[in-house]
Amino acid sequence: MQQSKALAFALVAPAMLVLAATLGWPLVQAVQLSLQDVRVIGSPGTFVGFDNYRHILGGSAFWNAAGLSIVWVVANAVLQTALALVAALILNEKFPGVRVARTWIILAWIVPTVVVVVIWRWLFSTSGGMINPLLIQSGLVDRPIGFFATPWTAMATLVFVNSWRWFPFIALMILAGLTRIPDDLHEAARIDGANAWQRFRRITWPLLAPTLVVLAVIGTMLSFNVFDIIWLLTSGGPAGGSRTLPVLIYETAFKSYRLSEAATISVLATLLLMAFAVIATRALDRDGAER
Amino acid sequence: MNRSLPLNVALVACLAFFIVLIGLPFWWVVSGSIKVPQEIIARTPTMFPQSFTLQHYQKLFEASDYPVYLVNSLLVAGSSTLLTLVLAIPAAYAFFRLEFPARGVLYRTILLAYAFPSIVVLIPLFGLFAKVGLIDRLPALVAVNVAFALPFSIWMLRSFLAGVPKEIEEAAVMDGAPTLTILRRVMIPLIAPGIASVGIYAFVTAWTEYVFASVLILSDARRTLPVGFSGIIGQYQIDWGLLLAGATVAIVPVIAIFALIGRGFVSGLTEGAVK
Repeated sequence: MQQSKALAFALVAPAMLVLAATLGWPLVQAVQLSLQDVRVIGSPGTFVGFDNYRHILGGSAFWNAAGLSIVWVVANAVLQTALALVAALILNEKFPGVRVARTWIILAWIVPTVVVVVIWRWLFSTSGGMINPLLIQSGLVDRPIGFFATPWTAMATLVFVNSWRWFPFIALMILAGLTRIPDDLHEAARIDGANAWQRFRRITWPLLAPTLVVLAVIGTMLSFNVFDIIWLLTSGGPAGGSRTLPVLIYETAFKSYRLSEAATISVLATLLLMAFAVIATRALDRDGAER
Repeated sequence: MNRSLPLNVALVACLAFFIVLIGLPFWWVVSGSIKVPQEIIARTPTMFPQSFTLQHYQKLFEASDYPVYLVNSLLVAGSSTLLTLVLAIPAAYAFFRLEFPARGVLYRTILLAYAFPSIVVLIPLFGLFAKVGLIDRLPALVAVNVAFALPFSIWMLRSFLAGVPKEIEEAAVMDGAPTLTILRRVMIPLIAPGIASVGIYAFVTAWTEYVFASVLILSDARRTLPVGFSGIIGQYQIDWGLLLAGATVAIVPVIAIFALIGRGFVSGLTEGAVK
């Protein structure tokens, strides 16, 4: 028995070491960096205590970015869960070609983000592109829309592009939850004369709700971290209208070279996200215990 | 099966909506890449190419560093996938099939790592890699990609391992097989679909990674496809034909891999979670 414990540790250790070296240790260093005043990577800094935190929390840049991050996360959660739910309900039906559809729905998720960016930059572009000419042809607008021209349209467009990329992945996770619901339940309800909507409302929805909550939590984490789509499409603009926390961190570190401030913002962002994760998993645990 | 007519109509309508939503952008990009420049920026877009040219591909492969980026990306994604599997399979086996102290705490730590805002470690990692001389080296990207893919990979293997009946393992133990042999000869063949799923996940994670590749790699000859490609976007006066050709070539490898084992990935995600 003693030997098998040692073996178990030996099997887990390599993975844990990699995670500790590439995530754990850098996190400790980020905290250290946030308590110092460092400008150039690798140069020694002076200890300044919580000065950076006072400075960051006292300024408006952090709060603006935090606000935009919340808008970003909520909008993405709503749009991508809605799209994913409908897609999953369809893929759970039986029809010719359903297996092909189940496989290839994920297409948008497996191509590099930069390709997603090129696709949508082109489609939404005001010169050439596809969307503007189509909108004009159909008479909906009379001149090209600058999708990335104002803060709000830019944010909305970004949310659309990001959700477009992520909803297939979420859809497959929901599908996993759907296939767990026994067919007999639906069959019995059908025999009792329940229509499709009633069956969805009374059987599918209550049984699916826990899965949706878990996915909403995972989706929140994933979309909070999204940087590349925003950076490559708008660079946080226009007028800072899409400068979420990851964009602000990147800009502070690699455009303004204020490393300690960037580390401070990133520690604050981590605390925010971890607090959310802990509260969410607690709530889920309690939910699970009651059931 | 027996659906009412309105339900069937709704189903077909939704299906058409999703096919357009996902398929049309890809069709426009792929078909656009063989159109002559005048047709690409024409005021009335064409659904099917009216012209045919390979000039964009020619330019992509002859006048840009695109082939170099492609090779770098394949190297990084390939090694990341292998390393992720080598680390994730034993760890998942120990987590879900063996008993040991602090198992719960360690497992929860791994799950937490999944939710980690990756940009936080970007700055310290740059310093760390600078110290050990890994800046501008592809192994640095492999290390990062593996770290990001590991937590979800381990979690994904859970349901597959749970699907293997205890009796099979017990029989092997009765026969006196050592734990490692059981893992290698019994478990790994039985969870092959799960391993394929994790492999795809790790490959996609590495293949699409942009942020770290843009900061940790400095020289043009070592850039991966996402970063090199984004450089092409700015480098030339927006040459849509070139970009569309580049996008098409970046899509092809993943589609090829996916066509081979994609079905396993999807059923891995869905059926695996059932158990």
